[in-house]
Amino acid sequence: MAADVNGGTARRAEAGQDVRRRRTRSVTETAVYAFLFFAFAEVAIHLLTLGLEHQGGVTLAVSEPVATSFSRPDIVDRNGRLLATDLEAPSIYADPGIVVDRDELVEKLATVLPDIDSKELLRALSDRSRRFVWVRRGVSPKIAQKVHDLGLPGLSFRYELKRAYPDGKLAGHVLGSVNVDNRGLSGIEKYIDEKVGTDPIHAAVLSTRPPVRLSLDIGIQHALEDELDAAEKLYRTKGAAGLVLNIKTGEILASASIPRVDPTWPSQALDSKHLDRVIGGTYELGSVFKTLTIAMALDEGIAKPDTMVDVRQPLQVGRFTVKDFHSSSRPLSVTEVFTHSSNIGAGMLALQAGSDKLENFLRKFGMLTTLTTEEGAVAAPQLPDRWGRAATITVAYGHGIAVAPLQFAAAAATILNGGKPVHPTFLRRFDTDSVDEKPIITENTSREMARMMRLNVSGPDGTGKEADVPGYRVGGKTGTADIAKRGGYSSKSVISSFLGAFPMDDPQYLTFVMLFDPKGTKETHGQHTAGYTAAPVTGRLIARIAGQLGVRPMEVVASQ
Amino acid sequence: MRLLNVTAFFFAIASALLLYGLNYDTRRLEAEVQVKEQLADRARDDIAVLKAERGALARPDRIDAIARQLGLSPPRVDQFVDGREVSALDERQEGGNGR
Repeated sequence: MAADVNGGTARRAEAGQDVRRRRTRSVTETAVYAFLFFAFAEVAIHLLTLGLEHQGGVTLAVSEPVATSFSRPDIVDRNGRLLATDLEAPSIYADPGIVVDRDELVEKLATVLPDIDSKELLRALSDRSRRFVWVRRGVSPKIAQKVHDLGLPGLSFRYELKRAYPDGKLAGHVLGSVNVDNRGLSGIEKYIDEKVGTDPIHAAVLSTRPPVRLSLDIGIQHALEDELDAAEKLYRTKGAAGLVLNIKTGEILASASIPRVDPTWPSQALDSKHLDRVIGGTYELGSVFKTLTIAMALDEGIAKPDTMVDVRQPLQVGRFTVKDFHSSSRPLSVTEVFTHSSNIGAGMLALQAGSDKLENFLRKFGMLTTLTTEEGAVAAPQLPDRWGRAATITVAYGHGIAVAPLQFAAAAATILNGGKPVHPTFLRRFDTDSVDEKPIITENTSREMARMMRLNVSGPDGTGKEADVPGYRVGGKTGTADIAKRGGYSSKSVISSFLGAFPMDDPQYLTFVMLFDPKGTKETHGQHTAGYTAAPVTGRLIARIAGQLGVRPMEVVASQ
Repeated sequence: MRLLNVTAFFFAIASALLLYGLNYDTRRLEAEVQVKEQLADRARDDIAVLKAERGALARPDRIDAIARQLGLSPPRVDQFVDGREVSALDERQEGGNGR
């Protein structure tokens, strides 16, 4: 009985354990199944979410090598105003393998892109082994839409960077241009490629480089271009050029050559008519060159401002006779040689100094070597073969030597900068880099030259009276150079120029205006000389820009 | 021992799920970053276009023509006044107005 009781207890205990074990197992199984269920549910939810979130997201891998383009930094003027930037623009390409009807495609495309080279495109599309043919790069969104609306199979679009110039032709020569791959071809654009840097890109990604800040001020640039345009119309010139330079820093605030170029049409710049005459051409500048001759005479101690020079007899140079435009019946002082623009007087002073001194003086001013700027190399000066007596006389009044206007302007600025060399630049400068340089002429010579230039504009006999702007103490020198022709010079065609500076009590800014073959008008009494043409243009220009440059006008009486 | 196995099994499954979750979170974040970058690129493009448009609208030749239409012209010499004279003028005006 007792055994039965014990056996029963053991069985019950075993049954109890069995029940517990089963329960534990079932709990474990339930937990595992629940866990797995939730895990798979999580995966299912993820899959569902991914499916819903990425509807239609297709990535296309193009195996055909696509041309590399370049992203470029912006170009801004000295005040941060935009001159050039990259913009996203659609480019059209074709896949010859997908094109159904080549002739139809080319024909229809020509209705939207009339200047397309149909033959070349047909030839390219004939090659079925190719998968990529450019049709037109950098079109406007409007054109792209029109092409898209043609619904031609095989045509596709790709966004690329295209250089944009919001100011149009303004400062076109300085800015230069880029090619279809956004690489700089000329001007500052080329300088960016060579010195600043661009980034190769495969998609339309804008540059993160800081903008290139130029020394130009677009307000001054516009005033200069506007005045040159007006002068071109008024005097029916065959072109014009000019610049505004900060004498203290060498910064070029404006530089223009008329006719202007559009930076968006690089081929335009290749035309000789569109040459940048400020740096790209060399010219015999005529009497403005006397500024250097007289400065040499004063600085070398050959003469003083009141030294008298007998200019009554013409100078004989071989078979040529050097005369004055207005011959004088009395000897002239050196100051008068300058203000009367006497060729004989300048020639005599140069002869007195000797060809070596004249040549060395010009060398010191960098007139005999090639100047380089950020816009490119300045045209090399054309110098006399031999610095003999004839060359010494003619160079003294700006013939027999041809230099680029910018190179001459830099030398003239050096004279007015107390003799400290001025290095012209198209980039914004935050310091005056010539501060530590040794002056190459004395302070006294510089002061005397400034005085003479002012007298030439304010004095009753000065040739530059028309350049005066009351209150702004303008000084300057006229230059009317006969244009060389076969067998000599033509006095009918001249280059009329005016070298100006202001305010002459402490010259800050220099202007140089050149008019090519101007014609006289009723107002100029038929005269085409610089005093009647380039000088008034300079006066109008200074009247417009002096306020913008922060030059404070003086009382008119005090400024005389 | 069994408890250890079960626990290890649970940990393995849990880690797998965690990794799975992290993997997808990373991908989601990557996609978000990509979307944000695309938005930033688009904003940069828009800024470039707006800057170019502003540049074109502020073209000096355009402003010049508009200013002249409004009867404006470059400042004349007599329009510049010394700052001290302006201060003196202000003082006189203030006195005259009884302030």
